[in-house]
Order: sequence, then structure tokens, then C-alpha cells
Amino acid sequence: MKTILAVDDSATMREMVAFVLESAGYRVIEAEDGAQGLDRASATACDLVITDQNMPNMDGLTLVRNLRQMGDYKSVPILLLTTESSDAMKQQGRAAGATGWLVKPFDPATLLEVVQKVLR
Amino acid sequence: MSTNNAGLPDAKDAAQAADLLVTVAETLNERLAITADELARSQAMLREASAELMTAFRGAADRIVAAQREDRGDQAARAAEYGTVLDHLYSACQHLQSHDLVNQLIDAQKLRVDKMREKLGEAINLASPEATKPVSTEQWIERSRAMLDCIVAGIRQIDDDARGVRTDKKSAGSVDLF
Repeated sequence: MKTILAVDDSATMREMVAFVLESAGYRVIEAEDGAQGLDRASATACDLVITDQNMPNMDGLTLVRNLRQMGDYKSVPILLLTTESSDAMKQQGRAAGATGWLVKPFDPATLLEVVQKVLR
Repeated sequence: MSTNNAGLPDAKDAAQAADLLVTVAETLNERLAITADELARSQAMLREASAELMTAFRGAADRIVAAQREDRGDQAARAAEYGTVLDHLYSACQHLQSHDLVNQLIDAQKLRVDKMREKLGEAINLASPEATKPVSTEQWIERSRAMLDCIVAGIRQIDDDARGVRTDKKSAGSVDLF
């Protein structure tokens, strides 16, 4: 069973992501900001990370940069799931090493398609 | 407005202009207080509704995920039934996200209103106490300028600080894979 780390400061968003992914058979672990996400990622080998951008303590792009410096996460797919939709932000995400950018509110079927695609 | 030899307005006119500025700042602050109260009430109602919806959603979602795990049967009919229920839950999931995003939008607006009220309060305080009432035209102008600077600083601060949630309907749900 693939393990996915969902990082978001909104409990509702984490719950939505977890429900959709668990209903498709994935195991989901949650973190409420980038700093906690980094801890969780260090403690558990995750196959995919889905993170929000705007969060207290550590934002999503900083989390991506930090994860990419960890040997285990050099090639693990990382998706940004955020309300930010500007091209400039997406470019920053790409430069930081993110695998993809999804804009909230997400469509569950689309999220599952993307997850399946990047986990292939 | 009458002016003196240096081209400055008389102290009386400058005082009236400063008083007018105070009146405008106080009126604006009263309106913002009403806005803040209405935002708080709207958010409380939304939170209550969201909490109820989340409880219902959670119950159904937990049940379907558990049923999928427990079910050892391989009947296609069961799978189709799960699929139908999941479709409804997925639809609810999308709308519950909107509730959450609206809540965050209200939070950002409350922050902006609170910061502006704070700055307007500071500006109004600059006009008191009466004991230090300026006497010269320059002092009145200086006081008015300080009040305006304070208000402008407030506007800049809310633009810099408020971490608003930008919900762009056109790009909502869009995906870019790099």
C-alpha cells in the first residue's frame, strides 16, 4: 500500500484529501504545516507528498526545497495543492522541485488521476 | 479658505480641516466596527453549518472506506454500489472545500478590517488630548499630515500583511504537471 503525506494547515482540507485517497486504497499520514511535514517525512518513507503552499511555520515551497535536499526524497513526487494560481508561483514551484501544481478546490476524480499518474 | 501672507491657510481653517479629518476617521471606524461584527456573525453561522456538514460527511466517508476494506466479496454489484456512494461523497467533498475556503477568505477580510480599525484608532488618538491642541497653522497642518500618514500606513500594512486566500474560479481545480 502506497503511503501519501498530506500537508495542510486546514483540518478540513486534510480530511478531504485523506478521504479521497483512502477511498482509493492509499494510506495517508497528515501534517498541519511544513515543519511538521518535514518531521513526518523523515520518520516515515512516503511515496508521495501533497502540500499546501500558505501555511504557518514553514510554507509549501520551503518544504519542497527541504525535501529535495533529503536523499530519500530526491525523486519522490511532490504536488502543491493550493489556492495560489499565478504563473509566477507555479514557476517557483517548478524551480523548487515540485512535480505538479493543483489549484483548490480540487476535483476528487482529478486528484486521483494525478496521483495515479505521478506514482506510476 | 482664507490664507496668510505665507500662502498658508489661517489657523482657524487649518483647525477646521483637522477636525473634519477626525470626524471622517471616526465615522469610518464606526462603519468598520459594524463590518467587523457582521463578518464575525457570518463566519460563526458558516462555521456552524460547516461543522454539521463535516460531521455528516465524516460519518458517511468513514463508513464507506471501512466497508471497502472489510468487504471480501468480489461482486461487481457491490463495487458499483460503492462507486455510486463515492460519487456523491466526492461531490460533497468539493463543496465542503469551498466552505473552508470561504472561511479563510472571511478570516483574511477580518484581519484587514481589524488592522485598518487599529490604524484609524491611532490616527484619531493623534488628534487628542485637547490639552495639546495646536495653536499655529503649521501645527494643525502637521497634525493632519500625521493622521493621514497613519491612515496611509494602515492601508499599506493591510496590503502587505493580510494573507488573503485567492480563489480564482477560472483556475480552480486546474492541474499543471511539470
